[in-house]
Amino acid sequence: MELLWLVPALPLLGFALLTLARRLVRGVAALIGVGSIGLSMLVTLWIAYSFLVSPPQSGAASDTVWSWIALGDFRVSVAFYLDSFSLVMILVITIVGFFIHLYSAGYMEGDDGFARFFAYMNLFTASMLILVLADNLLLLLVGWEGVGLCSYLLIGFWYRDPANARAAVKAFVVTRTGDAAMLVGFLLLFTSLGTLNIQDLLSKAVSQWPSGSGIAIAAAALILAGALGKSAQLPLQTWLPDAMAGPTPVSALIHAATMVTAGVYLVARTHAIFALAPPVQLAVGIIGVATLLIAGFSAITQRDIKRVLAYSTMSQIGYMFLALGVGAWGAALFHFVTHAFFKSLLFLAAGSVILAMHHEQDLLKMGGLWKRAPVAFWTFLVGALAMAAVPPLISGFSSKDWILSWVWSSPAGGPVLYVLALLGVLLTATYTARLVTLAFFGRERDVPEHVHPGGALIAVPLIVLAVPALFLGLIQTPRSLGGVNLFASFVQGVLPEPGAEGPPSTELLLMAVSTLVALAGLVLGWALGVSQARAHLARREAEPAGSPLHRFLLSGWGFDWLYDRAIVGPYRWLARINQSDVADWIARGFAALSRLLNRLLSLAQTGRLRWYATALGIGAVAIVAMVVFL
Amino acid sequence: MRQYPIDYGLVLSAVLFAIGMAGVFVRRNVIFVLLCIEIMLNAAGLAFVLGGARWGQADGQVMFIFILAMAAAEVSVGLALIMRMFHRFKSLDTNEIARMKG
Amino acid sequence: MSSEQILALLPILVTSAASVVVMLLVALKRSHGLVFGVTVGSLLVALAAIGSSVSVMPQAVSSLLIMDRFALLYIGLILAATLAVALLSYAYLESRAERREEYYILLLLAAAGSEVLAAAGSYVSFFLGLEILSISLYGLVAYRRQTPLGIEAGVKYLILAGASSGFILFGMALIYAEQGSLQFAALAAAKGSSFDVVSLVGFALIVVGVGFKLAVVPFHLWTPDVYQGAPAPVTAFVATVSKGAMFALLLRYFIQLDLYQYGAVVLVFGIIAALSILAGNILGLLQNNVKRMLAYSSIAHVGYLLVALLASGPLAVSSVTFYLIAYFITNLGAFGVVGYLSSGEREAEEIDDYRGLAWRRPWVAGALTASLLSLAGIPLTAGFIGKFFIIAAGAGSRLWALLIILVVGSVVSFFYYFRLVLAIFREPDAGAQVPYPSASLAGGIALSVLTLLLVWLGVYPAPLVNLLGGMTSGLL
Repeated sequence: MELLWLVPALPLLGFALLTLARRLVRGVAALIGVGSIGLSMLVTLWIAYSFLVSPPQSGAASDTVWSWIALGDFRVSVAFYLDSFSLVMILVITIVGFFIHLYSAGYMEGDDGFARFFAYMNLFTASMLILVLADNLLLLLVGWEGVGLCSYLLIGFWYRDPANARAAVKAFVVTRTGDAAMLVGFLLLFTSLGTLNIQDLLSKAVSQWPSGSGIAIAAAALILAGALGKSAQLPLQTWLPDAMAGPTPVSALIHAATMVTAGVYLVARTHAIFALAPPVQLAVGIIGVATLLIAGFSAITQRDIKRVLAYSTMSQIGYMFLALGVGAWGAALFHFVTHAFFKSLLFLAAGSVILAMHHEQDLLKMGGLWKRAPVAFWTFLVGALAMAAVPPLISGFSSKDWILSWVWSSPAGGPVLYVLALLGVLLTATYTARLVTLAFFGRERDVPEHVHPGGALIAVPLIVLAVPALFLGLIQTPRSLGGVNLFASFVQGVLPEPGAEGPPSTELLLMAVSTLVALAGLVLGWALGVSQARAHLARREAEPAGSPLHRFLLSGWGFDWLYDRAIVGPYRWLARINQSDVADWIARGFAALSRLLNRLLSLAQTGRLRWYATALGIGAVAIVAMVVFL
Repeated sequence: MRQYPIDYGLVLSAVLFAIGMAGVFVRRNVIFVLLCIEIMLNAAGLAFVLGGARWGQADGQVMFIFILAMAAAEVSVGLALIMRMFHRFKSLDTNEIARMKG
Repeated sequence: MSSEQILALLPILVTSAASVVVMLLVALKRSHGLVFGVTVGSLLVALAAIGSSVSVMPQAVSSLLIMDRFALLYIGLILAATLAVALLSYAYLESRAERREEYYILLLLAAAGSEVLAAAGSYVSFFLGLEILSISLYGLVAYRRQTPLGIEAGVKYLILAGASSGFILFGMALIYAEQGSLQFAALAAAKGSSFDVVSLVGFALIVVGVGFKLAVVPFHLWTPDVYQGAPAPVTAFVATVSKGAMFALLLRYFIQLDLYQYGAVVLVFGIIAALSILAGNILGLLQNNVKRMLAYSSIAHVGYLLVALLASGPLAVSSVTFYLIAYFITNLGAFGVVGYLSSGEREAEEIDDYRGLAWRRPWVAGALTASLLSLAGIPLTAGFIGKFFIIAAGAGSRLWALLIILVVGSVVSFFYYFRLVLAIFREPDAGAQVPYPSASLAGGIALSVLTLLLVWLGVYPAPLVNLLGGMTSGLL
């Protein structure tokens, strides 16, 4: 575990090199950018190996790199904490991250900001690793803000287009709303429990706070607000579809595989506090299922291939939140792992499609791409089947089934949530099938003459990532399908799962139901795709007006409209009519006072030697008087 | 011979010091300002000698010699600077050298 | 004098001998490169000599100089800062037609005087160190003797420093006449529960002189003028070494005489600190001249230092020293950049001279930005850690009023620091661009080392904090 610090340090070094050395040759920049993550991945694999071979005594190892400030009891260290939970996180981040970086070397070829792109990506990876490895809240916050910053920089990577810059600002502002609440939550934890160390905090909270106490509810709710912002969950979800303005590898890495799951990480990491606050935990589940459905419906209507995937990301993270809400910590983490692989695969394959289409992202203009871009097609198909949760080998099936059986059997879940989650399965299968049908099957609609789906740098990561998307489900299967329990037992120590599973017959029944629903969804989606493709061919360029319901869903349930009217508008109005309120008076008064004092004091700076000497004398008299008479 | 209490001497040196200080405050000619600083230094020297006499130590006199050396060094640097000043500004008035302010 | 005492004094001896050697060298042959090389070499030797002095410390050399851990640390700081100033001066002087070699004699002498101040254990060595420092500085401040501003700064500094020396000497004389000893230690032993009036007046007059050298309110009026008129590397020296040496003396004096128990003294220093923080920051607010702005900022920073000084207890000495080191590095960096960008007869001192620096000289802009962030106390810089320790020490001693003023002053200071940062990152003017001199190796090395130290102390302060932890015990 001594090498642990290298995991975030290597990407950070890559960032420093890429930033400091200006005008790098493209190959060198790519070598630094990709190589730093590659080395980090190798170190992570080595750490994972030694962790498995000789697990640390208490199930966790911590590595204090240095202590930043130490004053009596107050100590802030740069310390990393490794348990099976954070090990899974860093494995996913470095492995997925490495292949996305490799892919980027091909995808971003010819872009002016090549080195800048890799600098940001490396900084992002380093921040994300710091976030999941942090052993105290302050360091976690450093990582948290770091990923937020990089997300902002990368969404607005092509900043010359004002729309991209606006999307970046929107993402930053919306997530910041949650971050502000989270910061208050952290301060609440620090002031009431007196430590910044996360493990100490949790154990103190468990021993000092009674279950359901007000302070536990407040702390959990505030942390949840931060998690909702980062993970694009209701009501702070509106930024994610717009975030697709960034380059596609960015969407794959940040807005699908890693950063948006930081909220899941945070809630799972502090699950002890959530367990003390049942109302908040219930809210987590409800928010999860609501986001799952809202995003699912929206995804069905989108025309932009990346926006479909963005809404699907929201809805898949909704599954994770649902799992957290019913106390299935391990299932949430496992869904994070499978999702990271299949969703990054989907985004990267979509990127290859977008390249092939000469940066056209409209699904209705694609079609029949399966023989024009075979690698993209086959890998996309693997990812799509994984996402649609079609059994048996596909990874998404195992994780989703795990969540669903928990929702059914957990005391916090129940039939209502289960039915809603099942509806989610239907939606997922529908939009996935529609996406595949529109993009890859049918007649070619507006596909260019020459397609370039990318070279080996694009193809290799796709093929490699398809393997875990296909087979990862094998490490954790339902009892009726072998009952492999590798993953759950691995994270058991950190994310305990009280045994609450029903009898095998129920489980088998649930599995059959969800599989049938998924298959039904696939058929539905295929039918939708085919009919939309036909309608498009018939109408050609005429823009489909669509029903009001369609427009409503297309706009993501009108949340942007609602927020513009309900929050942004009134806020601006308030700001306008309130331009000189009391707070402003204070601020302006302070400024005016400073100016006045500045002018008065400047009068003393006459530049005249005699006055300077006299002031010396006056000061001397004053001090003598004070010392003698006091 | 009459013995005067040491306080008389200290009062004398304080008066000398005050004269020098006042001179620094009011004189505009920079050479006079330098002279007034010399008076302040010598007032301090007198107080040192008085102290040395009171305690029967050589320290006071030694300090006075140090002060003389320091004053000589200061005056030599000072006069050189004042020559540059006169050369440049054609004046010895300290009000002339007030370009930097604010 | 025993060989151990000579060994203990080695850093001071080397510095003094170096000034004589350089003087003879100049008489034999005028060569800027040679003189510069000898200066830098001897400063390095003097720094190395500290290593040998450590082995024999603590060592009282006669009753004048006390070579203890505290003194050696400050001597090391002074030598390192002088080295940085020398490195920054080379290109600056090279671009000027005037005689350049004497500069190094004066610099070495000023350093020697500062070292004596840092080790002073008696009023005699206090006086000698102070005057060696001051008289060398007269020459250095007025080194641009062809320009009206140089002469103006020189004359102002000469007269005011002379007058302040008068105050200090008269104060010393009064104390000596009453107490019969010039030793700090004897004074500490002799003092009863209170001093007589004459001694109190003596102390007050010494405070005036010390306050002048530290440039605290109400003795600060000279600061911006002298900083502006002096050559930029000399400004760096005045802002750091001269103040630091005086602060070392004040700290030793304060602790040895345990002045914390005198309410009036604490009150006087408290008022001085508060006024310095407020006046310094407010005066800097609308300043367009960077050297003057940094002058006002240095007034405020000495105010912060006094807050730490007033916070008694073991944390005080180490927090003062840490802040002082951060202050040294930061100000050397900031003034160093000013000197680095000044060419020929032109000082790069207007805020417009820095407009678009980030696009034209990104590395220099980085160094200056880091210094400004550190001055403002932004995290991950040495200045932040320093301020953190001061606030922690102040809170430990319940100096709430001073801490509030410190925070208010810091907030005000953001305005002018970030004003300059903003100018650095603005698009440069297409038309009339200020010419910058070509890059210099020595200056570049000094600036990079300073910037690295700045960030290093901000990120990993633990080793230095541990080193400073044992400082109070080391005080003789």
